[in-house]
Amino acid sequence: MTAYRYADETTPPDPVQVSDVAIMRFEHIFEVDPKLMTDHLSQQEFPNWDTIRIVAARHSHLAWMHDHWTLKVLSAGELLDDITREDAGS
Amino acid sequence: MSTVLTEIDPEVAEALRAAIGDAHVIADRAARFHRARVPAPFPVHRWAEHVPGIVVLPGTTAEVAAIVVIANRFGVPVVPRSGGTGLTDGAVPLRGGILLDLKRLDEIHEIDLENRTCRVGAGVNMLKLNEVLGKHGLIYPDDPASYPCSLVGGRIGTSGWSLIGSRYGHTRDLVLSFTHVLPSGQVIQVGDGGGAKLSKSSSGYSLKQLFMGHQGTLGVATEATLKLYDKPEAELSPFWAFESYEEAYRAVGLIVRANCATFAGAVIFDPEKVAYLRRDDEAYIPQPESVRALVCAALYGNEEEVEAGGRRLMRIARDHGGTYLGDEISQGDWAARHDRYATPLHGRTRAGQVVPMGWHCEDASINYTAVPAVRKEWHEIMARLCRASEIFDDWGIFAYTNGPTGADYLVEIDVGIWEQELDDEAWQLWVNAKREFSAVAIAHGGSISACHGSCREGEVDLVPTELGGVFDVMLTIKRALDPGNIMNPGKYLLDRAYEEVE
Repeated sequence: MTAYRYADETTPPDPVQVSDVAIMRFEHIFEVDPKLMTDHLSQQEFPNWDTIRIVAARHSHLAWMHDHWTLKVLSAGELLDDITREDAGS
Repeated sequence: MSTVLTEIDPEVAEALRAAIGDAHVIADRAARFHRARVPAPFPVHRWAEHVPGIVVLPGTTAEVAAIVVIANRFGVPVVPRSGGTGLTDGAVPLRGGILLDLKRLDEIHEIDLENRTCRVGAGVNMLKLNEVLGKHGLIYPDDPASYPCSLVGGRIGTSGWSLIGSRYGHTRDLVLSFTHVLPSGQVIQVGDGGGAKLSKSSSGYSLKQLFMGHQGTLGVATEATLKLYDKPEAELSPFWAFESYEEAYRAVGLIVRANCATFAGAVIFDPEKVAYLRRDDEAYIPQPESVRALVCAALYGNEEEVEAGGRRLMRIARDHGGTYLGDEISQGDWAARHDRYATPLHGRTRAGQVVPMGWHCEDASINYTAVPAVRKEWHEIMARLCRASEIFDDWGIFAYTNGPTGADYLVEIDVGIWEQELDDEAWQLWVNAKREFSAVAIAHGGSISACHGSCREGEVDLVPTELGGVFDVMLTIKRALDPGNIMNPGKYLLDRAYEEVE
């Protein structure tokens, strides 16, 4: 168990600029660059745990949707590896 | 009947309460405004013009029929509403009146495991239905972008389009029969012949499709018998990147024509769509600038067949310039396609500042050979619109296969509109653009809509042009079945049926 520290949760990691319009504070989680949200939208304080929670919830929703539609999701990456090997061997 | 009845005569309200009970007749302001809401609406600043006078929630077909009889007796409009997720405002009252909300018709009456059918109320949602069917290893594969929130009744009223329709068919193929309340209040069973569970009959006129896609102008479906399939053993949904639209377009043609029986659909993303996603979608932000277009395909069925078909499609895409985007993006994006209404949206001003925008989506049905030309002309229309006002943002074009042979596509352009800034002048710009989109579709031998319907301002003006003599038959049918013009009046220019009589 880790202790909840308000200051930690409201201090996001330093951003990395990933494109002209997006930054990344947490690995694989992209955010619109805040400098593009100064004129028409007001910013709110957003705790780190809530960012992580929202992304995790999105992933679990997508996994649920796969289970809802099919019994098994096949990997196209594995199929591509197979046919690449087959072609190399022929 | 051009008066907007945003208030209902107490005598009408009393008759409705007597017919279906006090608890299911609602006249408060919030309930009425809520039921004029749609996802890509009429001008939001004129919401108050579209509010019904009263809301009714019948619980049986007999109650629906009683409501329609009352509407005829008093000459009050009736507008059926299911999920309210349609993109052509079919469930939005143009003349006020009685809003007939079907959500209480939400029972699964029968699941026939031997004949692979089920009978459900019009207020049943497909996702909730499939949770029940999944326990029996079955699925009802009607899969709109609004899958988690749209209802069977609305799918009938709009003759819906399904994301995986190239494998399983669209709503018109999946609904075998239904109970229908005519504008007179008479109740009929509509299907192929007289049997409720038949998928083919040659007995009598084929009227099933007449009573689908009419946007509530020819009555109300209350109960439906649906065709069921085995829940697929396997799914495969590869996404490929291409360096040009032309390469992606050629590749998708080859993928669709690869003759895989498990093929369920393919989608092309054009460069403007990729640019939008690279700006605002977590899956595509990291994609290099060399990615200019995307193609995805989906296969469903037995594992052996999906795998064999998948190998064939992977080879075709690879050999024609496609770069596989990886399992995480492919599987994640495909899963998200079952639920497009959950996407939060924002757009950009010309200066690049973020603003909240509503999603407006114009679709057409276009043959494969005409897709590039339509795409080009639609973006030219959007460029003019964006120059005229920065409340509009071009979010790019998708093209989805309509069927397994790849003959035609649902082509849609997504448009962000900064609705807080919308006024009459900007709305007129948008309506003019919609009319231009429709004119392009018709000029290229297509149809104004593959999916949404075409009864909103702008596109509806060209429906008589598209349909020719068929539109005259529509007027004749409307007048014959609804002599009082009480069913969803004002839609599809059908008021003309009554002008001719006068």
